[in-house]
Amino acid sequence: MSLKEKMKELIIEWDEDGLREICKSAIESKEASAAELLRIIGDVLRFIGEQFENEEIFLPDLIGSADTVKTIIDEILDPAIRASGEEKETKGKVILGTAESDVHSIGKDLVGSFLFSNGFEVYNLGVDVPASAFIEKAEEVGAQIIAMSSLLTMSMDFQRKLIKELENRGIRNKYKVIVGGSPTSDEWADEIGADGWADDAIEAVSLVNKILNV
Amino acid sequence: MKMNKLEVLSKDEIEIIHSASIKLLGNVGIKIDAEDCRKLLQDNGAEVDENSNFVKFPEILIEEQLKHVPDSFKLYGRDGSFNFEVNTHSTQFGTIGTPVRIYDPSMKRGYRKVVLDDNIKQIRVVDSTDHIMASHIDVWPSDVNYLTVHTECIYVWAKNTRKPYGAGCYGRVASKDMIDMMSIIVGGEDELIKRPRLIGFMNPTSPLHLPALMTNGLEIFAKYKQPTIIAPEALAGTSAPVTIAGLLTQTNAEILAGIVVAQLYNPGAPVFFGTVSHITDMRSGNSAIGSVETGLMTAGIAQLARYYNIPSRGLGAVTDSKCFDIQNGLERYQTLMFAAQAGINYITCAGTYEATLAEALELILIDDEIAGMINRAFNGIDVDEDTIGLDVIEKVATEIKPGTTFLSEKHTRKYMKKELYMPKLVNRNRRTTWRKKGEKDIITSASERVEQILKDFTELEIPPDMDKELKAFMKMAEERTYDYFRKAEGIGADSVTLPDGIEIREDK
Repeated sequence: MSLKEKMKELIIEWDEDGLREICKSAIESKEASAAELLRIIGDVLRFIGEQFENEEIFLPDLIGSADTVKTIIDEILDPAIRASGEEKETKGKVILGTAESDVHSIGKDLVGSFLFSNGFEVYNLGVDVPASAFIEKAEEVGAQIIAMSSLLTMSMDFQRKLIKELENRGIRNKYKVIVGGSPTSDEWADEIGADGWADDAIEAVSLVNKILNV
Repeated sequence: MKMNKLEVLSKDEIEIIHSASIKLLGNVGIKIDAEDCRKLLQDNGAEVDENSNFVKFPEILIEEQLKHVPDSFKLYGRDGSFNFEVNTHSTQFGTIGTPVRIYDPSMKRGYRKVVLDDNIKQIRVVDSTDHIMASHIDVWPSDVNYLTVHTECIYVWAKNTRKPYGAGCYGRVASKDMIDMMSIIVGGEDELIKRPRLIGFMNPTSPLHLPALMTNGLEIFAKYKQPTIIAPEALAGTSAPVTIAGLLTQTNAEILAGIVVAQLYNPGAPVFFGTVSHITDMRSGNSAIGSVETGLMTAGIAQLARYYNIPSRGLGAVTDSKCFDIQNGLERYQTLMFAAQAGINYITCAGTYEATLAEALELILIDDEIAGMINRAFNGIDVDEDTIGLDVIEKVATEIKPGTTFLSEKHTRKYMKKELYMPKLVNRNRRTTWRKKGEKDIITSASERVEQILKDFTELEIPPDMDKELKAFMKMAEERTYDYFRKAEGIGADSVTLPDGIEIREDK
């Protein structure tokens, strides 16, 4: 079984320990670099994503695999890539969070998992995130996208507030701002001057792909 | 625990209805048209009034014959690889109906007359379903001589499904034809008797009447041990009392009479304790099959069947709606859920609407979906340490990493398919995705699947010799006249003479 096939099996089985072990030993034995391992992971996630789209597997299968991979990337591959001085390959960086005053997370987290599975680097800031926190993180990591979610109608106004804040700081054009969440709509996105809106996690991936032209 | 059964009668009330039915059978009896059937009953202790043709059933006769009735039996498809058991505790789904028209959106009125090609399609679609276990001669082709519908349909069955088939036991000639053709197809009478493929359907005529055509057909089905549904279609307020208690008492007597006759023809003949009863609409005089009372009657029959320990058959997925509106959905779900919850063992009429006068292949798939949901409901809620999952609750609740949900827990992966029914047609997309995929309603989605199923279907092979034999049989049947049938069934004649060439096998 090739390294790729072994990794695929471990990812599908959510075998975090197995994946950690195989990645460590591949790097140590120089069988593959961290960057190469990351590319393999990307291929496996794409395969799982296709299975999901074809309705061959279900949401937990996809999310669980993405979570397994994420742990190993954070723990092993990212530090190894940084240490080697290589540039990490990514389709783009997305800052993600639920707008201030709102603590709903599931939909937003699904968006995060889907974007991650599709090769984006996702910074999930959690819930009840103030506009300033979104902006500071975006500045820090050099993100292209700020993605905000709201489930409560009243928290929607904080989406508008974030866009205003970017304008006030004179950096509105630096970022594409996208919004989502049950009570939002494409009309709402237009009204507040956002760059895009998505109805669910799958749509969010298409939207980000389109905006970044990747 | 598993889902509890719905009960509409107390134990005492079941006893009261049983006693009243026995009284009715003993004091009034059942009008039986066929002389040989009356004679058979008389020979076994029944009292016959040759003027009125009413036969009084003594309690002892009923009790004795009920002892022979099997509480379970199996039904097989053509080659036997597909089969299922009918018993007094499980739930199976089937079709049955009398549709003369079929949904066709290309027609101005939305439907057209049924043709034989629709029988083929109907059988193929049923064949593809997960939960609908058998089709019957459901749609009535207008392009076939009505005296040969049964032979044409058996031929169609052989080529188009791996599942069992059902048909009305309308007379001994037609019933025997079907047995003969089935025997050719499955490799002989003995094989057919050993592993039955055909589900008979016998309607007593309410109130308290067993017509000759029905008992004649029942005789054949009983002798060849093909499971037969005995199901009156009493209408509360016209052919039965308007009271549900009265209707249940009367139809119970009719069913018991049919079962006694079947057992006298052949002890141990498999039967379903059935009902098609519903109500008369008191504004129009029309029958109303999708009524809430249909559910109550069906539930009552389920309880009576359990009392006698006989598998039951009842109505579900029936509606009076003429289109695909909310009435169609609510009545089909209401009757289906009533029958299922009441513990009916064979629930029929999938695919029909307009009081089973119309058929839609799309509805077969929708009913299959509902049946899947009902099967899930039956499994109830499993409660144990692992399903409660204290560990996983603690793990997810106390995880501080953003993005943590139960979705990425092994507990979810382990249980999701068992706990959650995965629908095939019900749409759960968000609006954008739904819009992107064509804003389809459930009928449109079902139509597309029907089209795909029919496209993918490969006709089953019939060996050339068998085909020749079947064709010759069908040709022989084609040459019969209406008068031939009347004579054979003893309709309008004093006695029955079997035409040459028809021999009924004695019990094996």
